[in-house]
Amino acid sequence: MTAIAQPATSRRKEGFSAFEIFVFSLVIALLAIAVCGPFLAPDSIYNSDIANSLMPPSAANWFGTDDQGRDVFWRLIVGAQTTLLSAFLVVTLYSLIGVTLATVAAAGPRWLDEGLMRITDIGLALPGMIVALGFAAAMGASLRSAIIAMAITGWPITARMLRGIMRQTMEQPFVAGAQVLGVSKWRLMTKHVLPNSLDVLIVKWAGDIGTTVLVLASLSFIGVGAQPPSAEWGATIAAARGYVSTAWWTVVAPGAAVAITSIAFGLLGDIIQVRRDPSLRGN
Amino acid sequence: MLAFRAYSWFLGRRLGLTLLTLWGLASLVFLMIKLMPGDEAQMAAGADASAAQIEAVRERLGLDAPVIMQYLSFLGRLLRGDLGTSIVTLQPVLADLEKVLPSTLELVFIAMLLNLAVAIPAGIVAAYRQGGVFDTTSRITAVMLGGMPAFWLALVLQYVLGSVWRVVPISGQQGYGMNSPVVTGAPTLDALIAGNFAGFFDTLHHIILPAAVLAALFATQIFRTLRAALLGVLRSDFIMAVRAKGATARHMLVRHALPNSLNPVLTLSGAQAGAMIGSAVLVETVFARQGIGAYMFNAVAQKDAFAVLGSVMFIGTVVCLVNLIVDILQLLVDPRIRAAQLGSQGQ
Repeated sequence: MTAIAQPATSRRKEGFSAFEIFVFSLVIALLAIAVCGPFLAPDSIYNSDIANSLMPPSAANWFGTDDQGRDVFWRLIVGAQTTLLSAFLVVTLYSLIGVTLATVAAAGPRWLDEGLMRITDIGLALPGMIVALGFAAAMGASLRSAIIAMAITGWPITARMLRGIMRQTMEQPFVAGAQVLGVSKWRLMTKHVLPNSLDVLIVKWAGDIGTTVLVLASLSFIGVGAQPPSAEWGATIAAARGYVSTAWWTVVAPGAAVAITSIAFGLLGDIIQVRRDPSLRGN
Repeated sequence: MLAFRAYSWFLGRRLGLTLLTLWGLASLVFLMIKLMPGDEAQMAAGADASAAQIEAVRERLGLDAPVIMQYLSFLGRLLRGDLGTSIVTLQPVLADLEKVLPSTLELVFIAMLLNLAVAIPAGIVAAYRQGGVFDTTSRITAVMLGGMPAFWLALVLQYVLGSVWRVVPISGQQGYGMNSPVVTGAPTLDALIAGNFAGFFDTLHHIILPAAVLAALFATQIFRTLRAALLGVLRSDFIMAVRAKGATARHMLVRHALPNSLNPVLTLSGAQAGAMIGSAVLVETVFARQGIGAYMFNAVAQKDAFAVLGSVMFIGTVVCLVNLIVDILQLLVDPRIRAAQLGSQGQ
């Protein structure tokens, strides 16, 4: 049987504020675009149409066209899938690494815990984006390389937080109870301690997506992430960079897409956090 | 005597962590080299090297030896300051980077000043008038700025302020014919040393927008942290006592509330100094400044693998050292951090 710890304070049921509903709808809209976008987009956006290049926003092309004459709006819609899917993949991968290391550290002998935490210290002390850049460049610049590079550099905060929480959970009476009943160490950790420690990751998840979207766009802009003609937003900005003074819309639109996505997921993270811990309200 | 021992304990531990981190970084960079597809000697020698040149590089780097020996000789080369050779500039990567480091440090220094100069007053006013118009607008601004990609903000502001309104130069570090003799490598400092005041203001004019972009991203964190800390302090009993004795709001905020809220801000700004150096790669290149970030960006564009990995090693090292210096400075400056750091391991 799985023991579930009761929350320390009972939470008052309350409705959602207008702001919260706004953020939820924004996130849902972004997810819907990411899922459906590529099916809705006209085929013409994959081909260049030089006669129509760098056209300003109009009724036909809402956000104008880029240097290849492709519709900027539809490319953003298609790029949403690449961007969000990559961000989900990165956060999932590094969370898995973080969870594994935290579990091993919390369950393992003292020396293993110490060793893993010193490695985590090293990871926290290094500039994550620069190291990810190095890995991505070494593996050959591509979206795949950037995703792997971010996954292998992103885990330290998760590992550190989760290990601390698991240690706290292990002090709770129900864990001692399970031990008395003769539950194996492996089962104790995976069935009792881990499920009761994971909600910190769920709270962190939305904010992590927001940050990851930013870093991914940055890596693509530097040139070690998605490569043209990918519709990924960072790569789109990098490709349009030279046209900012003649066709500002080619740069402004994809950057605004990155900003809106990152802000929406960041706010979602804040909302979840405040809902779980109402004492944070107003801060 | 006890204090001295506690100090050396802390310093020793902190230095140990720095060395450990640098070793970890070096191992990661070695792993990156091994991950590179293709022949390592070929990569190091450049695309149009002759077979004999490639063999010479293979010999010099000891690439026929077992991996563990290669790792040790790699660490040995790093200790001697050999970060590899750029196949574009044909110079040692370290020599290239040393030349442009002062420019980056200058950018980060000015960005840090702007960051604190804007975020601290804003945080004080926002916390004092919690829920007011200023509080609301600055919180919204902070959320928006925090979500913007740095390089994009740089591109947009460069376009608006540089090419549409023409209030700042579009790019570069100084105007044509404004060069001062290179002493430190930091343009503003060199202009001052040469007594070239026109040049000094010109370099400041060039650095203001890149520094402001870099500052904007980090100021949002300082603003949020200071505001949250102040809100906590403003609710405490001693503030009520200060008010009860009739102190002005200004006196209460500046003399009592602020000093008790600065601790997390100091810690955060220390961490930011290092992070800013990493973020410089996104800003410098947009403004065509000659810093370590721009060097790395160009190396990526030119597929100069060893220059990229050398830059990773170099930037990582600079960040670690800046963090070390900041930690030691904080220890000397703030008695509470001192107490916390030394108290926890004095026994």
